Amino acid sequence: MALGVRRGQGRNRSSYVFLIPAFLLYSAFVVYPLFTGLTYSFFTWKGTLRDSFAGLDNYAGLLSGAFLDQLLPALGHNALLFAGTMLVQNTLGLAFALALSRVRRGKRALQTMFALPYLVNPLVIGYLWTLLLSPAFGPVNALLKPLGLAMPWLGDPGTALPTVVVITTWQWVGFPMLLFSAALGGIPQEYAEAARTDGAGSWQVLRRITLPLLRPAMATVTILSFIGSMGTFALVYALGGSNGAPAGATDVLGLLFYRTAFASGDVNALGTSSALAVFMFTFIFGSTLLLERVLRRKA
Amino acid sequence: MRLAASAAVALAIAVTACAPSTTPRTGGGKVTLSVWGWGPEANYDKMFAEYEKANPGVDVDARSFTTATEYDTILSTGLAGDNGPDLAWLRAGANLQPLVEAGRLLPLDAKDVPGLADYDEKVLRYAKGDKDGKVYGVPFAVQTLQVIYNKKIFADNGITPPKTYDEMISSAEKLKAKGIIPFAFGGKDDWMLPVVASIFGTARWGGDAFIASVKAKQKKFADPRFVAGIDQLNKLKPYFPENAAGVSYTDAQILFSSGKAAMFPGGLWELNFFGENAKGVELGVFTPPVPEGQGLMPGFTDGSYGINVKTKHKAEALKFAAWLASKNYGQLFTDTLRVFSAVPGVTPKDPLLGEVSTTFEQHGATYFMNEFAYGNPSSAAVFSKALQEMLLGRLTAEQAAEQLDKSVSTWL
Repeated sequence: MALGVRRGQGRNRSSYVFLIPAFLLYSAFVVYPLFTGLTYSFFTWKGTLRDSFAGLDNYAGLLSGAFLDQLLPALGHNALLFAGTMLVQNTLGLAFALALSRVRRGKRALQTMFALPYLVNPLVIGYLWTLLLSPAFGPVNALLKPLGLAMPWLGDPGTALPTVVVITTWQWVGFPMLLFSAALGGIPQEYAEAARTDGAGSWQVLRRITLPLLRPAMATVTILSFIGSMGTFALVYALGGSNGAPAGATDVLGLLFYRTAFASGDVNALGTSSALAVFMFTFIFGSTLLLERVLRRKA
Repeated sequence: MRLAASAAVALAIAVTACAPSTTPRTGGGKVTLSVWGWGPEANYDKMFAEYEKANPGVDVDARSFTTATEYDTILSTGLAGDNGPDLAWLRAGANLQPLVEAGRLLPLDAKDVPGLADYDEKVLRYAKGDKDGKVYGVPFAVQTLQVIYNKKIFADNGITPPKTYDEMISSAEKLKAKGIIPFAFGGKDDWMLPVVASIFGTARWGGDAFIASVKAKQKKFADPRFVAGIDQLNKLKPYFPENAAGVSYTDAQILFSSGKAAMFPGGLWELNFFGENAKGVELGVFTPPVPEGQGLMPGFTDGSYGINVKTKHKAEALKFAAWLASKNYGQLFTDTLRVFSAVPGVTPKDPLLGEVSTTFEQHGATYFMNEFAYGNPSSAAVFSKALQEMLLGRLTAEQAAEQLDKSVSTWL
């Protein structure tokens, strides 16, 4: 018995040895950069040269009038993107998954087709859509013109963000669809059959059985959508440039960070942008934890 | 064992392959000067070949990073480490300061680079450190802003470059009636907005004198003359493409190069672009007149060649910099790239450039936005966005000018 325990401990110890390579890689490429980013934010910088200890000055700079005027709208746009993604992309994803669960032939082919756009780089997708939606040459407006619906979709502050949501949906709808499809496949047929035997209609089966059982999948999709919406950069950059055109209507945290770090020409850009990065990380990490708590408890 | 041996060989090869950037001398005892920039490499190889011919001991290796926005990051990282270039293209004005303050660049003076003494102070100012006033680069190009027009469309419609403001409006009206877009201008890429505002407005607010009084805090941008200048964008809106605020810069370029639009308000660098992409279009340029009379042509220094403070070949780099400040290089630059050289006294061979050069000498002014590109967020970014909102009808010209004042007050 004692021997067995010791042997077990030995195995445990040697299993730690096997963790070392992964741990080193993780430390070098994840922990260390995160930590240096944090330390950078406490200094003032002259270009790439570290100057003096600044304490929380860089963070105070984030909250100064001129910067805050950009930070708050950007954060708001991230939140709107999240709401839009939930409402449009994930609802559609669920609808597609439900519809596909009834399809017998060609299900795989349809799934692949829906999921295909997300294999393409968002920058490419953004570029393609700017061409499609161009008010000067774009085919979309050429089609809509006879109906009197031609619009500068990406050029009007009122339509720009909803357009971003639609394009995001077009690209990513396959993702919630696959997750929901997998979750649907895990629900035993018997539940629905039993309900039908008791006289439940399709709607009742969906509302009382299928949807409640999809809750864990919904929680996962919600959390992943949140992280995706908060960290979005490539698509909005391709659609509206680094300033979030038109008139900052598509400005998000990622673009603000990019501008602050690489395009401001400010001597202390590294300090300010590190502080912003720490803020973004803390905010996204904290909100995700909170969201996860709330969603899992309900589930 | 064999595997280890071949790995060692591979490693040795890899190390030698990297060598040119780390070891100073290549075969034949030549010194290699590496130069980083953001322009097309082939052009630079062609120009630097002339220097190599005259200086057999030196090999100039031009390397281009065409993605302009990443260049700044690549350069600041390169200069901070040990594998940076010997010389590099530097941004002008505000964007140069982070490198200067970090002490990455060698200050230059007329003792080592004699040509610097002849430069116009207006040009040289953009290659200086704001705090210490020292020169850190040899300016290479001056860009001007004006209207480029399609000569054939003008001739077909009996239009000549306008001499008065009213003539410009009536010509635009005439073109519009024929279904031709008068001005190819898109406001979706917001950096274009101050460019175009300055093309039509600089003379209205009184050019350099006004900018100087704003810097001296005697005047504000909300001054009626400046407001009237930027309000030109609103006044000319009927002659821009429909929904101009949603039209991108490349869309505007295509509208002009495809002959759908007659004029393109923009930078001199467009001549090169249209020369390549609109081969059949014969180009002309003019400076738009203002109601008060003659218009002004805004211009700015585009960039400069600086020397890495850590270069292992200081003497050679300085000698090369001296050549870059010479008329020889200036002539080569303007004729190869079809843009203005910043070197004083160079006359471009290209007739169109010659025309611009004459106008700029007589009616040149400073492009106002580059003077106010400081702060974080930079005043240029704040004002570009405000102009976009103005074009969308969400702000008046006066409100846009007030936003610029507010942003400038954070650092001036």
